[in-house]
Amino acid sequence: MTHPLTRRDFLKGTTAVLLGASLGAGQDVPAAKKTRVVLVRHRDVLDDNSAIDPDILQGMLDEAVTRLVDESDPVKAFGKLVKPGETVGIKTNVWSYLPTPHELEAAIKRRLIDAGIAEDRIGLDDHTVATNPLFVQATSLINARPLRTHYLAGMSGCIKNYIMFAPSQEALHPDSCADLGSVFKLPIVKDKTRLNILCALTPQFHGRGPHHFSRRFVWSYKGLIVGRDPVAVDTIGLRLTMAKRREVLGPDQELPPVPKHIQLADTRHGIGTSDLNAIELVKLGWDEDILV
Amino acid sequence: MEELGRSIPKTIGGWQAAGEDRAYDRKTLYDYMDGGAEVYLAFDLRQVWTRKYAGPGKGEIALDVFDMGSPEEAYGILSCDRQDPPAGIGQDSTYGYGLLRIRQGRYFVSVLAADEGESSGQAVLEIGRAVVKALGPPGPAPDMVGFLPQEALRPDRTSYFHANVSLNNRHFLASENILGLDRTTDCVFAEYDTDSGKPAFLILVRYPGAERAAAARRSFLSAYAPESDPEGLAPAENNTWVLAVLRDRHLIIVLESPSPDRARQLAASVAIPAK
Repeated sequence: MTHPLTRRDFLKGTTAVLLGASLGAGQDVPAAKKTRVVLVRHRDVLDDNSAIDPDILQGMLDEAVTRLVDESDPVKAFGKLVKPGETVGIKTNVWSYLPTPHELEAAIKRRLIDAGIAEDRIGLDDHTVATNPLFVQATSLINARPLRTHYLAGMSGCIKNYIMFAPSQEALHPDSCADLGSVFKLPIVKDKTRLNILCALTPQFHGRGPHHFSRRFVWSYKGLIVGRDPVAVDTIGLRLTMAKRREVLGPDQELPPVPKHIQLADTRHGIGTSDLNAIELVKLGWDEDILV
Repeated sequence: MEELGRSIPKTIGGWQAAGEDRAYDRKTLYDYMDGGAEVYLAFDLRQVWTRKYAGPGKGEIALDVFDMGSPEEAYGILSCDRQDPPAGIGQDSTYGYGLLRIRQGRYFVSVLAADEGESSGQAVLEIGRAVVKALGPPGPAPDMVGFLPQEALRPDRTSYFHANVSLNNRHFLASENILGLDRTTDCVFAEYDTDSGKPAFLILVRYPGAERAAAARRSFLSAYAPESDPEGLAPAENNTWVLAVLRDRHLIIVLESPSPDRARQLAASVAIPAK
C-alpha cells in the first residue's frame, strides 16, 4: 500500500479500491491466466452442535480439488498434485480454540494414500515442522488451517500458517507481521506447496480477550477455500472475513487490523497473487449467505 | 506468582484445577498466547500465571492472571477491550459470553470458558471472585485519564495504551503507524457524545519530547488529513471535522467532530498540567 489505508477510506467507501478491485469486476486479466480458487460449501457438513459429517467433508474436498485441477476423479486429481514415492507434510494447525479439524486432516491423508503416498511418508504437524524429519525430507506440502482473525496480523490464513517453519517467529511480528510471505522462500518450504486449504467451516471474524477467542464471533459458514496459491486463497478468506465483519460489526470495523501481509506476500515477496482481478473464484454447492 | 497460585482454590463450584499451573514471562509469552501476545507485550507485562479448570462434561475454563507491573498498565489492558457490561468484581471488571475481565491493583485477570453456558458462566464468575481476594489492594488509573474533558465523555469507552497495535484494535486509524506510537508513548482514546448521535473521538498522546510530538502531527496530517489548514483543521466525511494540535510534548487529535468549534473546544479543554 503506497497510501496508508485509513479510517477515512472506510467512511468514504474506498477500501475495496485500495485493497484491490471488487470481486466479479475482473475484466482486465485473461481467464486463462487467472489463479483459480475454489470455494465449496455444503449445508449439512455440520450438525446443530457443529459436529462434522466426515463423509460430506470428504466429498467437499474432493469436489474442490477436482475442480481446481480440472480432473473428474478425486484420486486422479490428487495424483496431479503429488506423485507416488514422495514424502508429504500436512501443515496443520493445533490452536486449541479453533484447530484444523481432524476430519479434514483425515480426508487429506486418505486422498494422499489413494494417490500412492505411503502412509509412513506422510507427516502431520504444526509446532515442530521445522525439525520434524518428515517435513525436512518432504518434497510436497499440503497447507491446511482454519480461517480466523488475529490481533496482530489481522487474519490468520494459509500464509500465516507457515510461520512455524521460520527460525524465529518473533522476527516476523513487526509491522503487523508484514513479511510473513518471506517464509515461503525458505528452503524447507520453497516450491513445495501443492495445495492450500483454508477451512471455513466455522470461521472466526473477530476476537476478544488474551486468547483472541469468543464463540460469539464464530459462525457456521460450512465452507472450504481451496487453491494452489496461498495468497489468492487468503485474499478470498480476507474478503469473506471483511464481509462478515461489515454485516455484524459495521462498516467502520470491516477490516481486521491490519492484514497487510497478504498483499505484501504478493507485491513484496512474489509468492502469489492478491489481485482480485487476477483470481478466478469458482463457487460450488450451497450458496445461501455466501458473502463473497 | 507461585504463591498467588497457592492462594487460589483448586476446586471452585464443582470445577477442578486440571493439569499443571504454568507461568510465562515476556520471552515465553508466545508459547502460550497465539494472537494476543503482542498486545500484552505492548504494555509493561511482567509475568502471567495460568491455570485450567475442568468441569462437568468436556468443559474447560482458562484462568490467566497477568502481573502488568503497575495499576496504570492493568487499567490499560482492561480498557482496550471493553465491550461487555460491568461484572462488579474487583476494582473494575466486565463479563460477557463466558469471558470475565478484571483489574485489581497491578493485576489483570482473564477467565474464559470457551464454550459458554449457564453452568460455566457461573463458574467463571466464581473463579473471578476467588482470585480477586488474593490480589491485594486497588490502584490508581493513569494520570492522563484525568486530563480528559468530562462534559459529554462516555466514561466506559476510555482506553489507555502505548502502541499502535492497541490503537488499531481499539479503533482502526490507519494501516501504518502514522502517530509514531511505541512503548515510550502514552496514549488515551476517548469518545464524546454529540447531537448527531454518533460519537466524536479524542486521541491524546504524550511523547518523550516536543520534537517527536511535532513530527507525529506532521505525519498524521499528511496521511490522514492532507487537506488540513495551518491550524490542523480539515473537513472530513459525513460532515465531520478533524483537528490535530500540539501542546508541548502532547499531541491532541479530534476525529469526527460535528463542527470545527466543537473540535477546537474539545482540544482546548484537555487539562494538561503545567510543567
